[in-house]
Amino acid sequence: MQQFSVHKIGPEIKIAGIDLSFTNASLFMVISASTILLFLYLGSKEKKIVPNKLSLLAEMSYTFVAKMISDTAGSKAKPYFPFIFSLFMFVLFCNMVGMLPYSFTVTSHIIVTLIMALFIFIAVTIIGFIKHGFKYLSIFVPKGVPTILLPLITVIEIISYLSRPVSLSVRLFANMMAGHTMLKVFGGFVVSLGILGGWLPLSFSVALTGLEILVAFLQAYVFAILTCIYLNDALNLHH
Amino acid sequence: MKSYLSFVIVSMAISNDLFAAEAGMPQLDPKYWASQAFWLILVFIILYVTISKFYLPKIKNNLDNRENKIKEDLDNANKFKDLSEIKFKEYEAILENAKKEVTKIHMQSKKLLDKDIQVKKKIMEKEIENEISKAQKEIIELKKNSITSIQNISEEITLNIIENISGDKLNKSSVRAAVEDISKKNINTYL
Repeated sequence: MQQFSVHKIGPEIKIAGIDLSFTNASLFMVISASTILLFLYLGSKEKKIVPNKLSLLAEMSYTFVAKMISDTAGSKAKPYFPFIFSLFMFVLFCNMVGMLPYSFTVTSHIIVTLIMALFIFIAVTIIGFIKHGFKYLSIFVPKGVPTILLPLITVIEIISYLSRPVSLSVRLFANMMAGHTMLKVFGGFVVSLGILGGWLPLSFSVALTGLEILVAFLQAYVFAILTCIYLNDALNLHH
Repeated sequence: MKSYLSFVIVSMAISNDLFAAEAGMPQLDPKYWASQAFWLILVFIILYVTISKFYLPKIKNNLDNRENKIKEDLDNANKFKDLSEIKFKEYEAILENAKKEVTKIHMQSKKLLDKDIQVKKKIMEKEIENEISKAQKEIIELKKNSITSIQNISEEITLNIIENISGDKLNKSSVRAAVEDISKKNINTYL
């Protein structure tokens, strides 16, 4: 579990008695964000009719997120496109950077994913109330439900709504932590079994690395698309 | 496989201290939560602002430009295609007209040539006829002349013959009368 431990880099920064020191987690956030910005800079630099590979990738990620938003949340969600795009790219790059050996996976920390999920939850709730006023509460009362079941359903709906930030954050955090732990465990097997027995866990490790790269992309996608779905609930009130 | 698994388990038991030192989840240690939250918010805000202010408009611009350019090029291509079709039709029409004109000119020149030939033929025929009649006249004249000269020759020959045979000089006019008489009788056999 050493790979998940956070330690301070550089001097201690304390503001109002709270420790805000620059840590390895912060370093890898900065690295991921810089990589995204570098990628987007190189990908949008040239204005050719036939794009080069990096431009193509940048434009593909743009159209990918744009299509995801328009498919799930419709045209009303257009103003939130930069946010969803940044969110998707940030989670994706944090996951991918975490796949490099000796690096740190920012998204494998519950506090990071929880803050993102809570922000999304609160923002979506505020957007819902701004757009629809108190009518937004009607998302807890689904249409076509028998009156007898209505109290029960409403309670369930409220619980499910409130558990959104938890499920959203725990999903990403648990996936990333479990994947890295598994890699660590199999890596540990390779070391402990040595040259005689280590081949099988090594092959597992290789296969798992491939799987983890898939999971890294998939979880970023899931995180972004769930944000889109929550946004859709807030923007288009038709439950 | 079973022996392998047991081998793995035994090895795990031996190397248990490898994990023991790292037990527990650092994620649940709240020591650096505030720091992580602070840096996450800071980094994400910077990332969001940079992306939304600079890169997304740029990429969108690039995509739009490309789409517009492609659309424009396609429109232009279609326009040129239509134009080339029109030009081709024009060209075909011109070709058709030219063909018609060629046949027209051909016919006209043929007619003209025919006329010319006819006129020239007539003139030639007339000339030939004239020449023939002239020649015929000449022949007739020559014939006439030849008859008189033959008569004269015959007269002289007759006179000479008679003179040589009989030694008499005959009257010239009587000989002429005799020769004329004979020649009138036999003229048809010579002419």
